[in-house]
Amino acid sequence: MDPGVSSAQRHVLTYMEDAVCQLLENKEDISQYGIARFFTEYFNSVCQGTHILFREFSFIQATPHNRASFLRAFWRCFRTVGKNGDLLTMKEYHCLLQLLCPDFPLELTQKAARIVLMDDAMDCLMSFSDFLFAFQIQFYYSEFLESVAAIYQDLLSGKNPNTVIVPTSSSGQHRQRPALGEASMLEGVEASLFYQCLENLCDRHKYSCPPPALVKEVLSNVQRLTFYGFLVALSKHHGINQALGALPDKGDLMHDPAMDEELERLLAQVPGLVNSVTASSEASCLPSRTPPRVGSPWRPLHHARKVDAESDGSTEETDESET
Amino acid sequence: MPSFPILQRSSEEKILYSDRLTLERQKLTVCPIIDGEEHLRLLNFQHNFITRIQNISNLQRLIFLDLYDNQIEEISGLSTLRSLRVLLLGKNRIKKISNLENLKSLDVLDLHGNQISKIENVSHLCDLRVLNLARNLLSHVDNLNGLDSLTELNLRHNQITFVRDVDNLPCLQRLFLSFNNISTFESVCCLADSTSLSDITFDGNPIAQESWYKHTILQNMMQLRQLDMKRITEEERRMASVIAKKEEEKKRESQKQSLLKEKKRLTINNVARKWDLQQHRVTSIAANQDRKDSDSPSQDPCQVDGSTISAFPEETGSLDSALSNALQGLSVTDTHLVEVDGDTLSLYGSGALESLDRNWSVQTAGMVTTVSFTFIEFDEIVQVLPKLKIKFPNSLHLKFKETNLVMLQQFNALAQLRRIDQLTIDPQGNPVVSFTLWKYYVLFRLSHFSMQKINGTEVTQNDMIMAERLFGILAHVASSELPQYRLISILGDARKKQFRYLLETKGKKPGVVSEENNDSKRLVGENTNRATLNYTTRDFYNEKLEEIKEKKKFCKMYIEDLVKEATEINMKNEALQKLWPQMFIELVRDAVIEIRNKSSYMKLCLQQITDQK
Repeated sequence: MDPGVSSAQRHVLTYMEDAVCQLLENKEDISQYGIARFFTEYFNSVCQGTHILFREFSFIQATPHNRASFLRAFWRCFRTVGKNGDLLTMKEYHCLLQLLCPDFPLELTQKAARIVLMDDAMDCLMSFSDFLFAFQIQFYYSEFLESVAAIYQDLLSGKNPNTVIVPTSSSGQHRQRPALGEASMLEGVEASLFYQCLENLCDRHKYSCPPPALVKEVLSNVQRLTFYGFLVALSKHHGINQALGALPDKGDLMHDPAMDEELERLLAQVPGLVNSVTASSEASCLPSRTPPRVGSPWRPLHHARKVDAESDGSTEETDESET
Repeated sequence: MPSFPILQRSSEEKILYSDRLTLERQKLTVCPIIDGEEHLRLLNFQHNFITRIQNISNLQRLIFLDLYDNQIEEISGLSTLRSLRVLLLGKNRIKKISNLENLKSLDVLDLHGNQISKIENVSHLCDLRVLNLARNLLSHVDNLNGLDSLTELNLRHNQITFVRDVDNLPCLQRLFLSFNNISTFESVCCLADSTSLSDITFDGNPIAQESWYKHTILQNMMQLRQLDMKRITEEERRMASVIAKKEEEKKRESQKQSLLKEKKRLTINNVARKWDLQQHRVTSIAANQDRKDSDSPSQDPCQVDGSTISAFPEETGSLDSALSNALQGLSVTDTHLVEVDGDTLSLYGSGALESLDRNWSVQTAGMVTTVSFTFIEFDEIVQVLPKLKIKFPNSLHLKFKETNLVMLQQFNALAQLRRIDQLTIDPQGNPVVSFTLWKYYVLFRLSHFSMQKINGTEVTQNDMIMAERLFGILAHVASSELPQYRLISILGDARKKQFRYLLETKGKKPGVVSEENNDSKRLVGENTNRATLNYTTRDFYNEKLEEIKEKKKFCKMYIEDLVKEATEINMKNEALQKLWPQMFIELVRDAVIEIRNKSSYMKLCLQQITDQK
């Protein structure tokens, strides 16, 4: 591949590959309504950020846009949990992540939790916003953070990290615990030196990094800082959050009027509140459902379902042909 | 020489009562010397204070000797009385039966009211018909051989706890054991073997207070005619036989039950141990072996029957074989356990899941309302849920214990069932219960079941509202924001799995398939907005990912080829763009040059046209 291809272009190819793959996966279903429509739908969903729902982790991780979309989806789906005020353990948050991505690795959630908890008490409860912002930093910038960890270790041990550093897979993260009682009496590393190394890192690397200007801002407030101190500062920095563009500001985290409206509509349908919706009546669930936001030539959801229902009602021969 | 009173009767008395002499209540302290009465046959010394039997050795024709109510401490002085037939020594102070060797003609021996503690020295009395040992200090009865004529044996008011050797008395008809200390039939079981016994008393013994007393005696002593001085009727005998049979049945049943229970317990222990191993909770296999050995003698599958039977006390041979036969008929093996107990189907161990394939009778299967899974991986249970739905259509309550429920997502798998009223997830072995939100998630995902109880607590309206509030948006996103093709493919996947199973059973139950059709149709319609929340077991998921890898590789190559092609075409296009002006100019120039000479051009064109033909 031509090395001159920019990262934006490369990601387009990723989506093309994935689209073709999806097409192959579901060719029986898709051939029913046409390939051109499929591609339009696919790329629309990429734009809207719904393409990552229930996909495998390798896809979700593949591009920065995917990661940001995933973060946004997680926020939208589970904001209500946060709003309810529940404090959950790391394992439970991981469970929620798995609802959206079945093979999401526990490692990542653990690292995110470490940022919030700052130590090894992994059973501690965390609030939704704390976890979400830490998770954002950990997930979106995972490769960056690994390199930073390596740099930090080197700085701690006094080596000059301005030479090229190739972060080994996860050893960087494991070395995160700065051994207290090492040569340095003061904790952490010097901020300005640290910043210089990071600046080099950002220039050199192809994966996403936080905007250097903002990193400088974070580091300019202190003389010295620890690795986790740095991560916490990153996660709490509004500017970085905005630059990422996935999540709203911390203050607005619980607000999503459109979804709240939708929720009220759903709540109104809870059996018992409305005049009893018995199990056999199907109609009640559907009419109030808003049609998909694609707002398009697509047949709305319930119509499609009816079509399927009709085909299912046909003779057994057709059932056989499905398998 | 001690002086004894000498007795002499008048000759008139001697002639009138030549063979009998009565010395009742004479305040005698010793036996007087009786002179000149060698024909005496009956001698009566009742109610005196005689301490020793003496001075009667000359009365060798004596047949009847009555020493009732005296103070005699020892039987003696009788060795010459070879004709003696009746010897009455009641109410004395005799401690031991002895010195009766020569009294071989003895017919009646009365020793009641003494202090005798042991029956001995009577085996030579082969003509003895009546033996009275009431009100003595006997603690047991044995040593009764030789009394071949004994008809009546009175043992009332002793301290007898067991009776032996009575079956050695061929003529014994009446046996009085009232007011002793007999409490079990086993202690007098020799009575059953005595064919001559017709009359027996047990009143005043602990045994007579037992509920099983009468029919046990009657059942074991069919030869009896009177019990406790009351005639035994035919009715009583019949009842006794019936009751005895019932008791035997009950005993056998309860033994069988406890055997089964024991076996079940052992099996469940075994399954639990295997499960622990599987879950890597047991640190080393060696340690496990030690535990196994100390817990129970043998866990070897082929030895289970032997070990469990030996755990019980020895029974009669027939009972044993009946039970072991019963054991063979059970479908219990060491690795799993399936049990149907009225309305509950319990499955222990993953091997038990295969039992769902069995031909359950409609009645049995219809009665099952609760299904309980223990020591089975939830992922394995998920795969048999369609079978469960069909075979046990009335199962409304599911219980899970030690099934490794770790993710909320796993609950999605339960949505495919027809209906669940109650769900019980035991915290033991199910980490998911430690999550704060698990109940709400269950209520949310399985809202179409309108569950009534979770882990024993009633589900309230507020719970349902909270569940919807927490996860409603997830459902909304999962349905309306998914692109169409994903919706269909996800739903299609889930339905495909169901249909696959149905098609497998299609050959056997065609009617069911169409019913399922409607069912799943209805199901999909009910909860479209959360139907996309599925659960694929880890293994399946990884399998799927593996399959996709090939496709991904192909796609990548395909796209790369397309890109290459596109790039080439683009390059060519750019090159063409660069060259085109020059090419165009040359084209025009060539054309102009060609047309310059009109006539030669016309000729050339005509030539071209004729050439074409």
